[in-house]
Amino acid sequence: MNPLPMIVATIRRHIWTYLLFVMVVAIATGIGVAITSQEAALRKGSARAADKFDLIIAAPGSQTDVVLEAIYLRPGTVPLLDPVMTAQALNDTRAKIASPLGFGDSIKGSPILGTTPDFATYLSGGWAQGRVFRTETEAVIGSAVRLKLGETFRPSHGMSHNAHDVDDDDHDEEQHTIDLQVVGQMNPTGTPWDNAVIVPIELVWRIHGLPTGHAADSQQIGRPFDPARVPGVPAIVMHPESINAAYGLRNVYRTSTSMAFFPAEVLVKLYDIMGDIRTIMNWLAIATQGLVVLSMLAGVVAILSLHRRQFAVLRALGAPKAYIFLCVWGQVVFIAILGAVLGLLLGSGIAILVSMVFTHSTGISLPAVIGADEYWLVAGMILFGLIAATLPAFLAYRYPVIESLRAG
Amino acid sequence: MKSQAPALSVRDLKVIYQDQAGPVTALSIPVLNVSPGSLLAITGPSGSGKSTFLYAIAGLLRPTNGEVTWGGRILQTMPETIRDHWRRHTIGFVFQDFHLMPELSPLANVLLPASFEHVTTSRALKQRALSLLERFGVPHQRTSVVDLSRGEQQRVALARALLFDPPVLLADEPTASLDALAGEQVAQTLEDLSVQEGRTVIVVSHDPALINRIGTRFVLERGHARPAAVMESVR
Repeated sequence: MNPLPMIVATIRRHIWTYLLFVMVVAIATGIGVAITSQEAALRKGSARAADKFDLIIAAPGSQTDVVLEAIYLRPGTVPLLDPVMTAQALNDTRAKIASPLGFGDSIKGSPILGTTPDFATYLSGGWAQGRVFRTETEAVIGSAVRLKLGETFRPSHGMSHNAHDVDDDDHDEEQHTIDLQVVGQMNPTGTPWDNAVIVPIELVWRIHGLPTGHAADSQQIGRPFDPARVPGVPAIVMHPESINAAYGLRNVYRTSTSMAFFPAEVLVKLYDIMGDIRTIMNWLAIATQGLVVLSMLAGVVAILSLHRRQFAVLRALGAPKAYIFLCVWGQVVFIAILGAVLGLLLGSGIAILVSMVFTHSTGISLPAVIGADEYWLVAGMILFGLIAATLPAFLAYRYPVIESLRAG
Repeated sequence: MKSQAPALSVRDLKVIYQDQAGPVTALSIPVLNVSPGSLLAITGPSGSGKSTFLYAIAGLLRPTNGEVTWGGRILQTMPETIRDHWRRHTIGFVFQDFHLMPELSPLANVLLPASFEHVTTSRALKQRALSLLERFGVPHQRTSVVDLSRGEQQRVALARALLFDPPVLLADEPTASLDALAGEQVAQTLEDLSVQEGRTVIVVSHDPALINRIGTRFVLERGHARPAAVMESVR
């Protein structure tokens, strides 16, 4: 048998109602897909952003605050690491790279970060344009910074809360009286550092009236630092030689005046919390989809009651009961499949849009990829639709023929 | 016609339903025999059980008592799927309100019963559908039956009923919603299907013009055959 002609004819008769059902299913599925894919993207994006921050040394306090400020460049007020400990860590030869991170200034809405040439090069993984800074008056920019190679600028003190809304002139910020020149641009890293201007840490210390880590008249940039001339810093990022060395360094700098941790540890804790939220949101998404399907079924049952006589006529013409069942089942399945597939597309669109907005506001690149979880969600929706469709189909199957024929 | 029309035999047929006041006899026919190829009108006032009788002899309604036999086959003993198949190929049904699918073309409406048992429609069935529409003078090129007149729509319904070339045609008030001319055309067609082609045609009707064309009447009153004349010949 082939109930398709009847299914198509009935859908055409109620095309707007059925399209409304399809849209509702698509929206419910789309929201579920977007939530799931965004949550996964957030994990991947945030983990990738922390990839090159192997070990962080900071003053005792909240590791999360340090991670948010040092890696994700969120404004914060983490305490400064003790200068003695800072000097010891910066000159520790067990770390291939030991670089201070200094914050607080900005240009055209982009944060200015003080660090060493080694770390800038390591983070960038090569240069899109130019080279790394060699003097205190040189800077390199992240891939998304609105400055050009060779352009000079004057840093302003303080950070804008919304980097993308500030005027180019930064009228409200207090400008430092030093001109810096852009000498290099980093490759895209997919991290908030893409929106940062990176300068020698010595410059940051100097313009804030602090010792520069070297002799007063020295033009040296980077390690080694003079222990007597190193001020405290919010954080030090270390790239140890090996995993063993990383664990060793972590133990060394877990002291009463410092804490050492792998950012991954902090992220795992955050993901644990996010995992709970994700579970709740997944269940909410599933519950929403369930309610949507049930509402749709109620609508279909209402429509089918208008077709009782038609089904009875088909039976009188010799249609088997299975034919009636499939006519109704097919209509609901049409809604479920089309709605779920459109929902997948809609969800992908929402996920991409949210990723773009998130990346624009945080700098963290969110790879909004529709993966197995999302396909399972859509498959689940379709499966639920296939099963739920049997309810109105069974009702139609059971319509008494004679009563329905007389009902007209 | 693909097969010889079967004889209809009804014995002790009773349809009783429960009302608030108690059991109500909707139909009670002790005996009725209809020869193959007969043209029979079922008449009687509203609520006399005419449609109930039609549904019972089509195997759509399970009677409280008695049996309906077509060509020696007792409907009540047939499993439902067998009965559906039998009905599809033995009985054509025509209704007062046509019950066509407005979204489908005249041809697609006629071919609808083919979808009950085939995934694809054979060329032979398509050809038969087309020739039926041509025979009944229906412009089958139309995209929807809505564009047709009521008389044409009833003729599409007739063509649909005849798709599988059934030897029996049951019509429930086939002219009731047609004007006089369209009713006359349908009545003529029904008569031709019986007289010229040898089909058994049983028509439930109030329409005097239609009843008067039909040679034999079976009159029902309150579910019972009229005692004085179970079968009236008007010719």
